[in-house]
Amino acid sequence: MMKRDFDPQVKQLLDGELTLADLPAELRQEGEEALRLLAAVDREPVSLPAVTWRVMAALERRRQRRLAWLLAPALAAAAALVLWLGRPASPAAPASSAMVTVRFVLVAPGAHQVSVAGTFNRWDPSATPLVRSGSADMWVATLSLPPGQHQYAFVVDGVRWVPDPTAPAIDDGFGRRNSVLTL
Amino acid sequence: MKRAGRLVLGFVAVAATALDAQQSIAARLSGRASAEIVALVQELGRSAASQGLPVDPLIQKAIEGNAKGVPAERVASAVRLVFAQLDTAAAALRSATHNSPADTVEIAAGGFAITAGLRGRDIAELARTGRPAADVTVGLRVAGTLAALGVPPAETVALVSASLRAGQAPGDLLALPGSVQSEMARGATPAQAAAGLARAAAAQARHGPPADHGLPPHPPAPPHP
Repeated sequence: MMKRDFDPQVKQLLDGELTLADLPAELRQEGEEALRLLAAVDREPVSLPAVTWRVMAALERRRQRRLAWLLAPALAAAAALVLWLGRPASPAAPASSAMVTVRFVLVAPGAHQVSVAGTFNRWDPSATPLVRSGSADMWVATLSLPPGQHQYAFVVDGVRWVPDPTAPAIDDGFGRRNSVLTL
Repeated sequence: MKRAGRLVLGFVAVAATALDAQQSIAARLSGRASAEIVALVQELGRSAASQGLPVDPLIQKAIEGNAKGVPAERVASAVRLVFAQLDTAAAALRSATHNSPADTVEIAAGGFAITAGLRGRDIAELARTGRPAADVTVGLRVAGTLAALGVPPAETVALVSASLRAGQAPGDLLALPGSVQSEMARGATPAQAAAGLARAAAAQARHGPPADHGLPPHPPAPPHP
């Protein structure tokens, strides 16, 4: 397999530290090519992170239900009243619309672990790890997400929050950027 | 007597629902935010619920700040900003629909669009173009995503409005950011890319879909399909 070494600034682009516009003009073509390669790599599904995410989400829902029950025994009586008045007793379940499969990819040279955290997993950096794929620098995860708007960032080595260099991004309100996924 | 009893029960039920909402916020933030932030989100959550604003974006921002290790005072500022953006979005949507209230999903989409750089008047214009509400929600999400790509507000509104007027399906609207990204990869600026697609959508609105069944000029490329 041919291995190509990109300019350090292009590596920063792939790592989300620079945008295409930040690159000097002579490096933009190389940057665009790197981003195209990134989007085209490895189409094989990776199911483990998706399963992990679903299991974690299910466990979290159970934990919250138990907590709410322990914290508020009086809610039982209130719920009965609510039922008597014909009101719904629990928050509406999310609409069962089709889930969309999404692949997250990050090239992170030298990283030991990479995860993705966002609105879909309560911003939990440990909930959705990416796995190495192809080259040693490439990390991927495939998730099933509900249609809608999602914000996310990659977490490199548990400490560094990095936006997806191939996705639109907005100010996160904390001086960093969140990537945006609209499904 | 019977009526009074129903009134009391109604009051208790409303109070129970409010209590449930407060406990739901506390439960969702348990271990994910300081007591100070939990109290702030509960206070803003009460206010949001009474104004018909969504509460979830406030909770998400508090959780995000904690996960990123942001100091509490900065998290508080960010949560207040989200509240203000939702309020602005709701006001814009009301102004576009003769004061009929928008649903929380629509307001959340508007709040996101404002975070991404659109203004209240942009939200109102999109809302006027995009009835029914389901189209408005998708239109606002797509508009916010285009703004996040660097498309200026005027070109963003022109493109999404033209696409809505052309009767494009939600799937086609959702493909717009990918189409803009494709044009940018070919060297166009975000504004140029959006303007070109808006012209194509406007032509479609005038003359109907082209012979190739309305495909965009270049196949859309979602981030990581």
